[in-house]
Amino acid sequence: MKENIVIIGGGIAGLEAACQLLDLGYKPIIIEKSDHLGGHVADWNCLFPDMTPAGDIVSALISKAADANIFLNTEISFVNKLQDSYNIMLSNGISIITRIMLVTTGFSVFDASKKEEYGYGVYDQVITNKDLEHWFNTGDDRRVNDSAMNAIGFVHCVGSRDEKARNSQCSKVCCITAVKQAIEMKQKFPEAMVYCFYMDLRMFGKKYEDFYISAQRDYGIRFIRGRVSEVSENIDGRVIVKAEDTLSGKPVKVTLDLLVLMAGMVCSQDSTKVANMIKLPLDSDGFLKSADNVADIIDSPKEGIFYAGACTGPKTVPETLAEARAAALKIHLYIMKK
Amino acid sequence: MRERFLTGYNDFVLPFVCGMLFVLGYCLVGLVRIIMQLPAEDRKKFFISLITPKTLLKNIKDIFLKCLIHVDIWKRNKLLGYMHSSIAFGWFMLIVVGHIEVFLYTSDLGAKALYYPIFFRYFVAETESTMKGALIFFLMDFFLLVVLSGIALAIIKRVRSRLFGMRRTTNPSFLDLIGQYSLWSIFPLRLLAESFTADISGGSFLTKSLNYVFTEFLSNHANMLPAWWAYSCALGIFFVVLPFTRYMHIPTEILLIPFRNAGIKIVNARKGFAKAQVYSCPSCGLCIDACPMGVLKGNIKDTTVYLNRQIRRNNEARIEEISDKCLLCGKCTAICPVGVEGDKLRIAQRSVRKYNFGSDYSNISASEEILRCNKFVNNNNTSVSNPDKERVLYFAGCMTALTPVIRKATESILSKAGTDYEIMDRDGGICCGRPMLMAGRFDQARQLIEKNTEIIMGSGADTLLLSCPICYKIFREHYALPGIRVIHHTEYFDELIRTGRLDVRKGGTRYVFHDPCELGRGCGVYDEPRNVISSAGELVEAAKNRKESICCGGSLGSLTLSFDKRKAMTENALANLTADSPDEIVTACPLCMTTFSRYADRPVTDIAQVLDKCSGPGRN
Amino acid sequence: MDFGFKLSPSSAINLDKVDTEKFAELHRAEPDVYKCMACGSCTSTCPANRFSGMSVRKVILGLQRGKEKEVIAMMKNCMLCGKCSMVCPRGINTRHLILSICRIYGEDMK
Repeated sequence: MKENIVIIGGGIAGLEAACQLLDLGYKPIIIEKSDHLGGHVADWNCLFPDMTPAGDIVSALISKAADANIFLNTEISFVNKLQDSYNIMLSNGISIITRIMLVTTGFSVFDASKKEEYGYGVYDQVITNKDLEHWFNTGDDRRVNDSAMNAIGFVHCVGSRDEKARNSQCSKVCCITAVKQAIEMKQKFPEAMVYCFYMDLRMFGKKYEDFYISAQRDYGIRFIRGRVSEVSENIDGRVIVKAEDTLSGKPVKVTLDLLVLMAGMVCSQDSTKVANMIKLPLDSDGFLKSADNVADIIDSPKEGIFYAGACTGPKTVPETLAEARAAALKIHLYIMKK
Repeated sequence: MRERFLTGYNDFVLPFVCGMLFVLGYCLVGLVRIIMQLPAEDRKKFFISLITPKTLLKNIKDIFLKCLIHVDIWKRNKLLGYMHSSIAFGWFMLIVVGHIEVFLYTSDLGAKALYYPIFFRYFVAETESTMKGALIFFLMDFFLLVVLSGIALAIIKRVRSRLFGMRRTTNPSFLDLIGQYSLWSIFPLRLLAESFTADISGGSFLTKSLNYVFTEFLSNHANMLPAWWAYSCALGIFFVVLPFTRYMHIPTEILLIPFRNAGIKIVNARKGFAKAQVYSCPSCGLCIDACPMGVLKGNIKDTTVYLNRQIRRNNEARIEEISDKCLLCGKCTAICPVGVEGDKLRIAQRSVRKYNFGSDYSNISASEEILRCNKFVNNNNTSVSNPDKERVLYFAGCMTALTPVIRKATESILSKAGTDYEIMDRDGGICCGRPMLMAGRFDQARQLIEKNTEIIMGSGADTLLLSCPICYKIFREHYALPGIRVIHHTEYFDELIRTGRLDVRKGGTRYVFHDPCELGRGCGVYDEPRNVISSAGELVEAAKNRKESICCGGSLGSLTLSFDKRKAMTENALANLTADSPDEIVTACPLCMTTFSRYADRPVTDIAQVLDKCSGPGRN
Repeated sequence: MDFGFKLSPSSAINLDKVDTEKFAELHRAEPDVYKCMACGSCTSTCPANRFSGMSVRKVILGLQRGKEKEVIAMMKNCMLCGKCSMVCPRGINTRHLILSICRIYGEDMK
């Protein structure tokens, strides 16, 4: 089977689709901008709700997809539309002619420094969810001070559900990630007080609610319904967080040793770049627009171009993998039909 | 010279005389009314200024330069400037020379003095063979030509405004059009009428030549009267409609200039000085291009020129809409050639709004607030502990609480410079009152000002440092803080560098400075921030800067503009800033910074951050 | 002072008796009033909160629950500084909302 299938993005969506396509007898081409495969999941430590090590998932995918043509450190320079196919020019000088592309460009983590009032990049004790996972993985972050960890706060919805941050959508996974990370921190620092500042808790997935109950019952994590509005610093360098406890109707103030901002998912610049090159439309939430948001989430409005994963909106890992499998099948059927 | 008619009268002067008398009467009544509407204090100030030689001279100079020469418009666009001054100054000179002529050649005029200078050529035949005659004839023709060239440009401007540096012009109202067409026709008709009489009463290069060229037509004196009638009618119509058109600005501006020079401010939203401003608006439309809201087509009718029109029409619904929408950036005021204060006029309109309940801050205890910032006073709270040293009270302001990076950088600079400082609003302070003032709620603002004054005076400080220009403006203008220097952080930093209290290493970054409305146009601080940036890196300029800087779109001035409607304005302002591709956008207002960083494609920082990054303790 | 809404049998909210006319007028003046998701950002950032318990969130809720009197008492300390509009994640124009309330609702409310 000599059909070229180009997968743009070597995150878990791209890898999973490649595995399936390899099984179906194709030899897909993966184009990855960075120097490693696995995308954001490769940077993560554990995945909810069963604390599956993220590394295991990614390495299994990478070894299964090893037979695909993989270009690391490679970007798409430009795309030319031919009669019924595309000519893709890569930054390494290789050009590919294909009529099938799978866009798995994923998401970007919201730049938390844009929420100036939270002081990310200004105060030493303010980090993001991604920074925390990095610290779980490497133990290397000067902002996390193991010796004095008496109080930790998590701020939900940083750059999500926020028109001021130009992202009005819910990022879907931050609630459960915050619960997961709160539990992990409580495990590491059993004496510390852990607070979650949330607007609404969206525990929609399998076993999420159990996870939430466990965080309350087994770990004593304090959930405060109120969005943090200001973060300041006291004289000894700890951060003071101000919010309203909307359930008691009173403002609350708490001094913390570590504040974790749950930065949300936004459409990645790479997705927009690819969308510009192939003239794919963007949806009103800023992510790529599917042919239909119910029935055809993995179909783009253009023939031969498919989506999988978070390039069409915030997704969990299992949802992304399921979409990748579906996309592989869709591509197979598309080739068969011709 | 010889009188052509014994009576010295012809019926055709009637339209002109009626129009003239009407407009003079109207203006006289209006003048008395406006002066009576001024508060007694202002009225006194006005009359005193009229007999004070200094202001009197300034009045004459301003009226000459602004009303006749239109220097402000010349500075903006040469062609536009020529168009305005050719019509205004040319017409003025026609009137002056006409009167000189009448004075030189006739005596004992009586009622004829009303129209003789206008229709002199019809009634009096004069010789151009003497030097005196030739000169006067030449001058009259010359200035007529000047006016005609201005009229020609005005007609071109209606079609191709871009030639005159204007992207958009005002949509004229029906009466404006009548006034405009009658004005346009006055001078060609005068040329025609005078050309008819040129072979009888004399003429110069224009009128005489025309008379020769069109021998058959213009030398047939049977056609003379209709031309003089038409000329008189055009004048008459123009004068009759003048009070109801934009041309009312001609007489009103002559009143506005002495008012302004007397130091009068808007008190009543519709009367007195405000009324003089509204009627002084020439509807030139320069404010349309200047308005930052203009990027959205739907906002064009909310610019100052339309506010003035609606106020003249008493269209309350539209007045409210226009007044509440405005960002109060003050750019229309800054560029207005006649000095209509669009921002102050709008605040005045807001101040007449009726509310069912107001504020009451009597429960706020200033003495308790002082306890939060009483570092400079002794334990018994009576005296200052270190009266000879500089004692800086830093009021970060509400907006800075949401941009902690500014406060942190400022504190860091203060420590490096060895400044003894105290923060007035560490855990949130009391608002400065400017937002309340901008909403036109003066009484409420006054209460806030009183509370803050008490706190500042009780703190024992000798300097009040501000990092928010919104606060800075009201602290400078509406607070009475004897013995306390009020200073914005850009000015303070500049001073620290100049006096060697701070050592700055110059880097290679290219910075563009955004002049915040309240700091630049509001307080006239333009150079100090530029000095600071120049010492830290390379300063590049925005396409439009200083007094013409474009509002970031985040202004608290607008009451009704919702968040999503401001995006286009911010993007337009950003495009203006990045014209010279700087690496970083620097501003000196927390609100501008937040607004810009939302949409900017490069870093947006406060001047305090820039300076903090590249400075160390100085030698002094 | 305490302006929180305590639920006791006598002060139970009877939605049948709440006058919705004024709120409808407010909604016409500032349609964004329905966008509030009660996150509380405005409350915690409000400089007037520590003096009168001012909270735009409570104001919006209170007006819909017939608590005009409490709302007006809270709003007496509003300084119109606009911090709430800066932090509101839904981009509600809170300053216009507040001014509209001052115009529509009055002291003579029950």
